[in-house]
Amino acid sequence: MAAQPPARSRTDWRQPLLAYALIAPPIILVFALLLFPALQSFVRTLVDVPGSTGGISFARYQSFFENQISVNNLVFTIQMTVLSTIGLFIVCFPLALYLRFSNSRIAGWVQSIALFPLFVPGIMLSYALIRFLRPRGMLETFLNLFGAADGYETPYLKPLGIIIGLIWEGIPFTLLILTAGLRQVDNSLIESARDVGANTLQIFWRILLPLTARSALIAFCLNFIGNFASYTVPYLLGPAAPQMMGIFMQRTFQEFQRPQEAETQAVITFLMCLIVGLLYVYAVTRQRADQR
Amino acid sequence: MRLSKTSLRIALLGIALLLVLGMSSAAAQDRTIVNVYSAGDTNITDWYQNQIIPAFEAAYPEYQVQFTNSRAAGDEPIIERAIAALTTGDDPLVEVMDVDPRNFPAAVEAGLWYMPTVEEVPNLANLSAAAQVTDLSPSYRGSQVLIAYNSELVAPEDVPTTFNELILWIQNNPGQFIYCRPDRGGSGANFVRRALYHVSGNDPALWQGEFNQQLVDTYYPLALDLLAYLDPFMYDEGAYPAGNNPVLELFASGEVSMISAWSDQAIQGINRGFLPETTQLVQFTDLPMPGGYTQLSIPRNAGNLPGALAFVNFMLSVEGQTSVVSEIGGFPAIEWGLLPAEVQERFNDVITESVPLWTGGDYNPALTEGWYNTVATDIDPNS
Repeated sequence: MAAQPPARSRTDWRQPLLAYALIAPPIILVFALLLFPALQSFVRTLVDVPGSTGGISFARYQSFFENQISVNNLVFTIQMTVLSTIGLFIVCFPLALYLRFSNSRIAGWVQSIALFPLFVPGIMLSYALIRFLRPRGMLETFLNLFGAADGYETPYLKPLGIIIGLIWEGIPFTLLILTAGLRQVDNSLIESARDVGANTLQIFWRILLPLTARSALIAFCLNFIGNFASYTVPYLLGPAAPQMMGIFMQRTFQEFQRPQEAETQAVITFLMCLIVGLLYVYAVTRQRADQR
Repeated sequence: MRLSKTSLRIALLGIALLLVLGMSSAAAQDRTIVNVYSAGDTNITDWYQNQIIPAFEAAYPEYQVQFTNSRAAGDEPIIERAIAALTTGDDPLVEVMDVDPRNFPAAVEAGLWYMPTVEEVPNLANLSAAAQVTDLSPSYRGSQVLIAYNSELVAPEDVPTTFNELILWIQNNPGQFIYCRPDRGGSGANFVRRALYHVSGNDPALWQGEFNQQLVDTYYPLALDLLAYLDPFMYDEGAYPAGNNPVLELFASGEVSMISAWSDQAIQGINRGFLPETTQLVQFTDLPMPGGYTQLSIPRNAGNLPGALAFVNFMLSVEGQTSVVSEIGGFPAIEWGLLPAEVQERFNDVITESVPLWTGGDYNPALTEGWYNTVATDIDPNS
């Protein structure tokens, strides 16, 4: 809660109250449905330990990190998340630059196509990719036309399948944030740099990259959290083992019927995402502070 | 504003029309209503509405079926209503339900289900021994996991007819066989269970009854070791798809030439051309793979009990059972020998006298977990 507003006239006093009343429902909802249960789970993982006599114990975390399979799955999740997020930037940054500086009709088409995945549900995307990537799928048939299919190894049911799926799913969102960031860079800034003799590479390194660093950071954070917790794509396109945390948790909870272990896995996943979440909050608040 | 007024008028007209039609049709008939509920997949509910119900109404003109697809809401509320009606004496407005009565312990405890006698439902006499799985309701269709293979790629003399022969075949044909992850589809789960039967002396009775940890400790490691040994010979050195359908797709594309599959999905796949015409189905002769039966359950307080009995009798007739086999690819609940000769001939290789039923329950979690921890982990994460 913010500090009490200083005593002023009656109408002045009412206005902030109304504002608080308006934001209260979402805040209460977030607390009641998200933060409170998360905190409860976190406390339970420390206190509610089988075989413990009370007090705080890290036994549940210890058994998580002693289990090779759960560690494998965690490492695998981090790998997949980092690789797919890097892949997203490799794909999206050049695209965003192109969309920022081109006003041609083709650019409009490119943008519409790039934004298209935004309207495709994950499960449809996964099945489409299975058809496309699987052995004797569309990609291999296409490569075959050029006699290039000899070395083709399907990424379907392999880690690469997850990365491809997550990149495809993340393109529109990343592109929107990056192009928005690039549009904030004033044209006059680039023109004046050109006037004093800067070449394209210098403009990119010295002007565009530093000025879009924050939107890139925001895109990174949101993609990281989204990919870390992804379910449908790794479930349908990835291998049976190792698996990403989302699937692992669901399986531990439902198939293995071990709610306590699933809870520990969930808290660990939550904490990993929390670190990146704090980075996001930092990026956003600094942006606000700078704008003032 | 104008639009909403117009649409309101149209809606009112529509309602009026429906009312008029409803009253006139109600007045025109003296048939009694039989309420039938099914929460099955689209293939099942479509089959009820388009095949079974019209055929039943033609055979029994004194009844009219009111079919409700309960997939969205589930069967639970209807069963609760029927249990409540049991105490109040009201009509529960449900005659027949397409459910396994054992899945609803509260209903079993309340004594809700009514098992008809042979006098009431004459066709019950034809029920096969394998289909008699519960005393609460009659089974009407079964499905079983079996082996599907592409006869273009597998020579007739190589087709495995026992589990042992399949193991040999998989080793001799690396990359040509696959089953799905056991928690993602019954075709994979029942294959894993069949491996468990294999290492425990092909005796399903061993796994019936109370949960026995000793059995788990003795036989699970053997079964999982066998499957782990087979892992490198599987499709793509052990790339297990995440469901029944992805396995069928790999088979349809010709990437693998043999799979474990549900009988109904495979038969329907062949009928609809989704699977190649050269698809053949075969069942092991030493011990078939597990499967299950589905029942038609009748609440004992059904308002139109004669209608319910007639419906069940029709379903168990040769006509109803032929439809089970040819329309939805199910297994008949009556003896195969009673079906028309051409139907029998077509499914000659999959006809079995017995369908082992996996007990499930507490035996499941450890089997799935063991599979993930010993069989699936062989996949190199960096491949």
